[in-house]
Amino acid sequence: MGDKRFMKGNEAIAEAAVRGGCRFFAGYPITPQNEIPEYLSWRLPEVGGAFVQGESEVASINMVYGAAAMGTRALTSSSGPGISLKAEGISYLAAAALPAVIVNISRGGPGLGSIQPAQSDYLQATKALGHGGFHAMVLAPNSAQEAADLVYDAWEYAERDRNPVLVLMDGCLGNIMEEVELPPMKELHDEDLPEWSLTRRNGRDWQGNITPIYTELILEGLNAMAGEMYKAWEEDDVKVEEFMLDDAEYVVVAYGIASRVSKEAILKLREEGVKIGMIRPITLFPFPKKSIRNLDFTKVKGIFDIEMTVPAQMREDIELQVMDRCPIYEYGRSGGCLLDDDGVYDAIAEIVKGEDA
Amino acid sequence: MKQSFVFSGSGGQGIMSAGITLAQTAIDMGKHATYLPEYGPEQRGGSAKCTVVISDDTIVSPLPKMCDHLIVMNEQAYAKFIDDLKPEGLLLANEARIKDEIERDDVFCIKANVDDIAQQLGNEKAANVVLIGILIGATDVVSREVFAKSLEEKFKDKKPGILEMNLAALEKGIAIGKAHKDERKA
Repeated sequence: MGDKRFMKGNEAIAEAAVRGGCRFFAGYPITPQNEIPEYLSWRLPEVGGAFVQGESEVASINMVYGAAAMGTRALTSSSGPGISLKAEGISYLAAAALPAVIVNISRGGPGLGSIQPAQSDYLQATKALGHGGFHAMVLAPNSAQEAADLVYDAWEYAERDRNPVLVLMDGCLGNIMEEVELPPMKELHDEDLPEWSLTRRNGRDWQGNITPIYTELILEGLNAMAGEMYKAWEEDDVKVEEFMLDDAEYVVVAYGIASRVSKEAILKLREEGVKIGMIRPITLFPFPKKSIRNLDFTKVKGIFDIEMTVPAQMREDIELQVMDRCPIYEYGRSGGCLLDDDGVYDAIAEIVKGEDA
Repeated sequence: MKQSFVFSGSGGQGIMSAGITLAQTAIDMGKHATYLPEYGPEQRGGSAKCTVVISDDTIVSPLPKMCDHLIVMNEQAYAKFIDDLKPEGLLLANEARIKDEIERDDVFCIKANVDDIAQQLGNEKAANVVLIGILIGATDVVSREVFAKSLEEKFKDKKPGILEMNLAALEKGIAIGKAHKDERKA
C-alpha cells in the first residue's frame, strides 16, 4: 500500500532524503527552504541520523564534506544567497570526489534578493556552482512528487560518480502542498558503504586518505576524467519530458514551476487549435540538447523560453541547439513576482495568434 | 471541475490554516488539491495569502491568475486582491474589518461578521472555521461531514469544549452560506 501524504515540496524532499538513505544534514536557516531543516531536525534522530544547525553556511557545507568522507549519505539545503556561501565547499566536494546532495530552493536575486520564489539560479547551478570548472548533476523537479522521486535516488548518482548532485527547485514548489506518494525506506547496511569511505573498517581494508589537494599532472588527469564523466551523463542520464511535440509548430522550453504554468497554457492553446508542445528539462545539467536539436524545424516556427526569472537564463543553452533555425521568444516574471496562467497564455498567444490575440 | 480559492488577510487571522484544512478536506474526499502560502518577512501581522486549487483531475498549474472564490479578512486584502476575482465569482468578506462598499457588481458577495460570530461562540480564532462553513454552505466544494471529521481529528486532544465550539462555528457558517445560495437560486 502506498504511503500517500499531503505535504509541502520542502517536506517531501526531507522525507524522501531520509528514505533514500540520508543520515546527516547540516544547514543554516534561510527562506524559502526552512521546512527542510525543520523537518529533518526531528526526523533524522528518529532513524539514527544526525541533524546539525551549523553556525553558518560555510561550516555546514564543510560538515557535509566530513560526513560524506565517512561514507554517510549527507545533505545540505539553502536558497540562492546561502548556496553562494557554500560554493567553495561544493567545489571542494567535487575536488575530493565526494558524493553529497545539495538542495537550492531558489528565490529572487541577485544579492539578498527577495524571500519570494524565483528561478534566478539556473546559471549558477549549471555553469558555475563554484570555482575551478566542475559540474554537478542538476535535477529540477516540477512537483512535490517529482522532488521526492528525484531526491530519493540522488545519492545513487552521487555515489556512482563520486560527485555532488544539486537539486534546484524554486520556493514556490518548495512551499506548495500537494499529494505525494512516498517511496519505501531504503535499507542500507555497513557493507554497502562505499569502498573509498573512511569508515571501511571492522575487519575490512582501511582506505586511508581523502584529499582535495593534488599535484599538477594528477589534477589535470582528474579534470580530464571529470570531462569524460560529463559526456557520459549526456549519453546516459538526461531526463526530459516531451509533451505534445509530434505536430508542434511552437515549442515551449520550461522547467520547474514554469513548466506547470506553461502546460496549462499549452492545453488551452491546443483546445483553440494551436499546434504547440513543450520540452521540459528535468536534468538541467546534463541539458536535454538532443530534444531541442532534433526538433523538425521544417515545422517548428518558434521556441518559447518561459522562466520565472528576467532575463531568461536558459536561453543560451536553447540557442546552441536551435542554431538560428527559428526565432526564440522569452517570457518571465522575476524578483519574487510569480508566473501565472493568464500571463503565460497571453505572452504565447500574442505571438502565435499575431495581431488577432 | 477545477475551482480556485484565495484566502487573504493578515498574519494571525487563520488564513493559512483555513487554506490547508480546505485543501486537506478535498483530498480526504478523493479530489486533488494544491495549497500555496505567500507571506512577507514579518514575524507577526504582515499580509498573509494562500491559494488553494481543488479539482477532480490532476492539477497542472497551481498558479491561477484569477480565482473563483475570494475570501478577504481585512480592507488591505480586499483592496489588493479584489481585481483577481473572476466575473461571476464569489467574494466572501469579513464585515467586521471591511467597511467599504463592495465596488464590483459582477460578482456574488457574502458579507459576514465572522469575527463577532466566532467571539460570541467563545474564541475569535474560530473565525476561519466560520469562513469555511460559509464556503461549504454556499458552494458544496467540500462535504460538511468530511470537514467536521477533520476538525474532530485536529481538536481531539485539546481542552473539552474546543471541538464543540469549532463545530458550532462550522454550523453557523454553513447556515449563512446556505441562505446566500437560496437567495441566489430565487
